[in-house]
Amino acid sequence: MPAIRKVGVIGAGTMGAGIAAQVANAGVPVVLLDIVPEGAANRSALAEGAVARLLKTEPAAFMHKRAAKLVETGNIEDDLHKLSDCDWIVEAVLEKPEVKQALYRKLEGVRRPGTAVSSNTSTIPLRMLTAGMSEAFRRDFLITHFFNPPRYMRLLEIVAGPETDPAIVDAVARFADLAMGKSVVRCADSPGFIANRLGIYWIQRATVEAFDLGMTVEEADAIIGRPMGFPKTGVFGLIDLVGLDIGPQVNASMRRALPKDDAFHAIDREIPLIARLIAEGYTGRKGKGGFYRMKKHGPHRSKEAIDLATGEYRPEHKADLPEVKAAGRDLRALLTAPGRVGAYAFRVLASTLAYAASLLPQAADSVVAVDEAMRLGYNWKEGPFELIDRLGTAWLVERLHAAGMTVPKFLEESVGKTFYRVESGRLQYLGLDGAYHDVVRPVGVLLLEDIKRAGKPVLKNASAALWDIGDGVACFEFTSKSNSLDDQIIGLLVETIATVKQRFKALVIYNEGENFSLGANIGLALFAANIAAWSEIEKSVAAGQQALKAMKYAPFPVVAAPSGMALGGGCEIVLHADAVQAHAESYIGLVECGVGLIPGWGGNGEMLARWRADKKLPRGPVPAAAKVFETVSTATVSKSAHEAMDYKFLRETDGVTMNRTRLLADAKARALRMVEGYVPPTPPEYVLPGIAGRVGFNGAARGFFRRGLATAHDLTVADALAEVVTGGPADIIDVVSEQQLLDLERAAFMRLVRTAPTLARIEHTLETGKPLRN
Amino acid sequence: MTNVVIAGYARSPFHFATKGDLARVRPDDLAAQVVRALIERTRVRPEDIEDLILGCAFPEGEQGLNVGRLVGLLADLPLTVAGMTVNRFCGSSMQSVHIAAGQIQLGAGEVFVCAGVESMSRVPMSGFNPLLNPVLVEKSAYISMGDTAENVARKWQITRAQQEAFAVRSHARASAAQAAGKLAGEIVPIKVNGKTVDSDGCIRPDTTADVLAGLKPAFDKDGTVTAGTSSPLTDGAAAVLVCSEAYAERTGLTPLARVKSVAVGGCSPEIMGIGPVVATKKVLARSGVAMEAIDVVELNEAFASQALACAHDLRIRDETLNIDGGAIALGHPLGATGARITGKAASLLHREGGRYALATQCIGGGQGIATLLERV
Repeated sequence: MPAIRKVGVIGAGTMGAGIAAQVANAGVPVVLLDIVPEGAANRSALAEGAVARLLKTEPAAFMHKRAAKLVETGNIEDDLHKLSDCDWIVEAVLEKPEVKQALYRKLEGVRRPGTAVSSNTSTIPLRMLTAGMSEAFRRDFLITHFFNPPRYMRLLEIVAGPETDPAIVDAVARFADLAMGKSVVRCADSPGFIANRLGIYWIQRATVEAFDLGMTVEEADAIIGRPMGFPKTGVFGLIDLVGLDIGPQVNASMRRALPKDDAFHAIDREIPLIARLIAEGYTGRKGKGGFYRMKKHGPHRSKEAIDLATGEYRPEHKADLPEVKAAGRDLRALLTAPGRVGAYAFRVLASTLAYAASLLPQAADSVVAVDEAMRLGYNWKEGPFELIDRLGTAWLVERLHAAGMTVPKFLEESVGKTFYRVESGRLQYLGLDGAYHDVVRPVGVLLLEDIKRAGKPVLKNASAALWDIGDGVACFEFTSKSNSLDDQIIGLLVETIATVKQRFKALVIYNEGENFSLGANIGLALFAANIAAWSEIEKSVAAGQQALKAMKYAPFPVVAAPSGMALGGGCEIVLHADAVQAHAESYIGLVECGVGLIPGWGGNGEMLARWRADKKLPRGPVPAAAKVFETVSTATVSKSAHEAMDYKFLRETDGVTMNRTRLLADAKARALRMVEGYVPPTPPEYVLPGIAGRVGFNGAARGFFRRGLATAHDLTVADALAEVVTGGPADIIDVVSEQQLLDLERAAFMRLVRTAPTLARIEHTLETGKPLRN
Repeated sequence: MTNVVIAGYARSPFHFATKGDLARVRPDDLAAQVVRALIERTRVRPEDIEDLILGCAFPEGEQGLNVGRLVGLLADLPLTVAGMTVNRFCGSSMQSVHIAAGQIQLGAGEVFVCAGVESMSRVPMSGFNPLLNPVLVEKSAYISMGDTAENVARKWQITRAQQEAFAVRSHARASAAQAAGKLAGEIVPIKVNGKTVDSDGCIRPDTTADVLAGLKPAFDKDGTVTAGTSSPLTDGAAAVLVCSEAYAERTGLTPLARVKSVAVGGCSPEIMGIGPVVATKKVLARSGVAMEAIDVVELNEAFASQALACAHDLRIRDETLNIDGGAIALGHPLGATGARITGKAASLLHREGGRYALATQCIGGGQGIATLLERV
């Protein structure tokens, strides 16, 4: 089966357009078609309008605006022939089998034999979609169920039909995995596949129990949320996000499709309040609000929530539940907490976990599939079977029996065992056969968690560790909270350089946290400032500068592999690596100005060197300095790895990995490719405009101030930054060295950290997570 | 005293910088097309031209070196025609006219092409490598133009509504003139990548006070000046033919107007917009002509606030002012504006009748420049 080089998507609604955008994000050309609107002058208005909308959506569907150029728009009457050279056609039209089948028949006339055809259906069984179609069609047909939004949600559920060619399934799965960055979970052709099958049960249960137990929406969301590792939208916030009108439709579909003895039926009931809210236009965030809404009082807005008992809106009461606080991370304690809180937590979670167990083997063939589906499709931190292991199978089953709740066979049989275990350093899962099986990663997937499970670190301290990831490559991992960078990390990095020099060929900097790093630990800086330990702060700044330069000039390749946020010092580490292999979803930036500081670990000089090397900029001392000033003073953060190249946080030659699970393997491979003939870089020299440039940048900053876009302290910070990027006292005929720039940077940083407004900004950001605009 | 006349006027269409239709035209090519057309239209003998004097406010990059000389070569003027580049910021191409008039009076040539060009798309305002003198920062020498407009608005108490009414006026007059074909005669169609650009791109006929009232202040969050009451960043070129009256008669050229008196003067950089008042008072005093006797006024509309302030202080009669619209609607390609408003004043005098015309403009850094013209 040849590679997929061109994709067709039919249906330019939210999902179809989003899927097309993600194909374009992969650098693959895509044709997006929709019907011809009645009486329209522009016959392709629907697809064209969809692309225009995508370019404006927040969060963005395109990783870079230029990806939109890969989307060719059209309509299914005039442009169906454009699908003839597509290797995969995705159907994402109305959830009506007759509409889909009519389209499939049209496709039969134009598609190349052997072109994969898939449906993004979430409610129609595959056997119904292929009924009456030709044998050739059934061979090429499968379901590919994406999640919303298609760029960011990593789960792709694939359902193969009994006659689907395995080579077709493999080709589509491979493309979705490598090019689109999706984690593929194979599902049976059963209602809701896996994620929605469980998710719908979970939401319905949580809703019904909230009414029955007299919970408020805030309480429900506080319990069935963060404490269980679920997103903070909880249940009612999630319903608002998805849309209240979706629930009844989806429940009706499940009601029709599920087997008679399925546990969903017992909790499936109409909720009159929901019907009323929908009728009044309260369909959730896309409408006027739902269970929560924003109410305008003149110039102010306040949040309101529905009182489930009265059905009326009232001001939001943030839930303050001592039982939740007391339980902390102890899930058992939460489920056995006294009163309504414990009862609600237990009834919702226990029944949901039991329902998950009931899905094997009818909907899924392993616990791994179900856990992956819920983690990646619903953003649960842990899947249901991982949660059961936290509670203990015996503990849970005993309490389910005591509560008179059904215990599925697989769960009953697993009492006394864990669903996961580590055996000889290998992660294993409990199969339906009652035996343990290795969790096998796909070829090309290397996970640090597997390495860590199997051995001991080469080096380690409180905030970082060094791991041997094979073939002569070491991996430096941050382990501090939020991967914030502190003296321990810097210290271990220095040790690492010596160790790698002796015992390894190359170094990768990588971790499996949600974010690469949110920057230096400013809490420590604040503490030191509060006791006026200025020399300690300066020592830390100098140590970081030296460590990063030592890393830059080390006699072996260093590859940084960021994913998620790489901010401030985290960005500076990325800038000092020889090369970067970035996850497409990397958000990189020098954000120090937001907390009243400037980059202090050499970031300014690295950015200047990159911009100075850009042949497209005019010559002369000012242009590069102006670019760096603009980017850093506004604390710009790029919204994708591709966009990071526009700001030169990443080089054009750096690599981008679409699938998060493949990042480490790709980074390792990149590092190994650089070993042969590796030569460390030479230190740059700078020609900078000095005071003549600095006053110009300050003038621009003052203009922002007058327009109300910058504050008084922003001007102070901007001046410190301007001084550094213009080389301080440099003359335009002088050459400024890397060390001179580092010294200027450190001095400016120290001046700023002593100012009260900067300390206020740091404190505020630490406390609230938000910037202080003083 | 030798009489000096304006004997021809032509300009390119004016378009928004960066997004407009002239953004991809090199400024030297743009000016050369206009100069070439001026010579063809006036039928002047190219070999009689002494000098091509080209004004440009940011003469670097593609409008750098001695672009005045380079434009002459591009326009295929005889090699014997000299070329120079003049910078008096926004007043550059009006200064070109003044230099030519002086040379003619000196007996240092009979015929001059006085042109101006600015590509604000291709050379940024303040140039590629602004290297400011810190001492001058203290003297407000580099104060942004928008800030000066706010200063003038405050000092002369010109309200936002008044500025907006003026902007509406500019667009209304410009679009009426365009619709009536009154601008076509001065415009030189410009070739761009196989296409032809032949009409102005900045005029917005649907500009109303309501539309303008919805804009945010552009320079000061508590201010009154918006993008709608400021001239836009513009690409364009203009040129006038300046010669002795005797030469015009001898060779059968059609003089549009006689140059009667010229002046420049300085003022505070912080209220540079009031520059025309200084220069105009001088030009009226030198010529002995009173403001009431001026029939046509071309006052550059850098900003509505400064135009209104000048109109007030100089007592310019509304019916004489910017008859076919001004820079707020037409655009203000810095180096080209001087030649445009001088040539326009001359051609309006010729078209409408009347005895005297005034062309005057403010200049960044705190100056004004003015030219008084007389019907021939």
